[in-house]
Amino acid sequence: MTDVPAIETEGLTKRYGRHRGIEDVTFAVRPGEVFGFLGPNGAGKTTTIRTLLDLIHPTSGSARIFGLDSRRDSVAIRARLGNLPGDFGFGRETPGREAVKLLSRLRGVNGTPRAKELAERFRADLDRPLGQLSRGNRQKIGLILATFHRPELLILDEPTGGLDPLMQEEFLALVAEERERGCAVFLSSHELDEVQRVCDRVGIVRGGRLIAVERIDELLGKARRRFAVDVQDPAGLERLRSLPGVAELEIVGSRTTFTAAGDLDSVVRELADHHVVDLEAAHPSLEEVFLGYYEEGEAT
Amino acid sequence: MSGEGYSPGAQTDALVVTHLSDRRRSVLAWGLPLGLMSAFIVAIFPSVEESISKAVQGYPQGLKEAFGIGQLSNVEQYLQAEMLSLIVPLAMGYLAVRAMASGLTGAAESGRLDVLLSAPVSRSRIVAAGFIATAVELAVVLLVTGLLTGLGSLLAGSGLDAGRAAEGFANVWPLALLFAGFGAIAAGFSLRTSIVTGSVAGLLVAMYVVDLIGRLDTGLSDLRYASVFKYYGNAIEDGIEPIAFVGVTLAACALATLGAWLFERRDLAA
Repeated sequence: MTDVPAIETEGLTKRYGRHRGIEDVTFAVRPGEVFGFLGPNGAGKTTTIRTLLDLIHPTSGSARIFGLDSRRDSVAIRARLGNLPGDFGFGRETPGREAVKLLSRLRGVNGTPRAKELAERFRADLDRPLGQLSRGNRQKIGLILATFHRPELLILDEPTGGLDPLMQEEFLALVAEERERGCAVFLSSHELDEVQRVCDRVGIVRGGRLIAVERIDELLGKARRRFAVDVQDPAGLERLRSLPGVAELEIVGSRTTFTAAGDLDSVVRELADHHVVDLEAAHPSLEEVFLGYYEEGEAT
Repeated sequence: MSGEGYSPGAQTDALVVTHLSDRRRSVLAWGLPLGLMSAFIVAIFPSVEESISKAVQGYPQGLKEAFGIGQLSNVEQYLQAEMLSLIVPLAMGYLAVRAMASGLTGAAESGRLDVLLSAPVSRSRIVAAGFIATAVELAVVLLVTGLLTGLGSLLAGSGLDAGRAAEGFANVWPLALLFAGFGAIAAGFSLRTSIVTGSVAGLLVAMYVVDLIGRLDTGLSDLRYASVFKYYGNAIEDGIEPIAFVGVTLAACALATLGAWLFERRDLAA
């Protein structure tokens, strides 16, 4: 596998007159890596993607894809990537099959067999005009168009919008297979759970700026987790309050609840002095992590 | 499978065929009414010939000059006055900008442009394919119009000269194509179909009016150089003027090239 990053941006900035787009966005995505790009509406996710695809031109900074300049070498880059736009459309009267044929000819590949295979997998109807399909079923056609040519980089903007849970699972399986194949995936999403399940690293974007890039496991490790513990004699558990990283301590009868972040060794040692009847540790959702970053950003 | 197996020529073919397939209904939607109207005009000519000639004699000279009406003593002159001097060129000019816009701004509005530009195809190629497809569409609509007109003459025994009629309809093609070129330029500034078609349709009417004013007032005749209608002439009677035909066609291509350059440089914002 090549060492050249699939995506590499350096100070990528896009301003629309006085309006903010994205500001100084710097990150890299390695081949075979699934990179999640998280942020609320208007944070700059789609602007970043459109800049990578040369649909909009950066005000300053640069983006390189497969080591090629995203502006100068845009056509050569697009031969090697697949893209699912956030609001996929292709004209109301065109059936998916026609769209596949056109994209196959534009790419110089015979994509029909692979497209059929994907259509069966996603239960997508390639024969009905797109205007007659529900949003979820249109999205399936979009996924097929993005992936049928086995790209080296997949750029997916909110890919599971409208997909039912079963198809979301199938989508996550497809992303995992693409990663196994060595394909890099840049996935913008609000579905924090799916990002948590499929991404290797996550970039969090806020107000047009990339405020953090973390490995998923590191991100979860930093997250504040919620604990509930039942002990026979809670006397003395107040000492938990003074431990580093512990907050929101509440003791009601034999049940004590608190949140903790970071190293848990001191918490475990403190609990070990008591007869623990039950212990629950809630796995933090990425949403909690995400909101934590936002609160942190707002505080600063 | 991902790689560089694409060929620019095959891409253009694919885009042109798709554009034409998407707009196949326009051949009937535009060719049929224009053709039936023209067929009706030539078909009624034998029955109105005498009264029309008398009526034209009474027209003010300025009006006759403005609308290019000399005499209406034959069916070709009648077809020119009723269809080819105003209705067909304006209709075809508007069709041209509609067709051009559908491949650019229409594609942007439907989301198709984003998908096309995920493939290794340049924006210039999309503009070029739209322009070629529009040229073909215009030719087919004019052909349908001309064939129906000929059929009307044949059925009514109007005696329309097929060769001269063909020249008359063919002469509309470069004029209409010029407005496809203006459409490409407008798309370089706006991705809204209503703005592109509205602005270019306004230009089409403005050019017609400028030419009309220049004909009516000899003192303002130089204004006509600003209008493509000055170079349109009266091909059904005088034959196609090759320099004007080629010149306007080249101007249309130059405008489309400029439009492609502008389209290449603009942001395609979501």
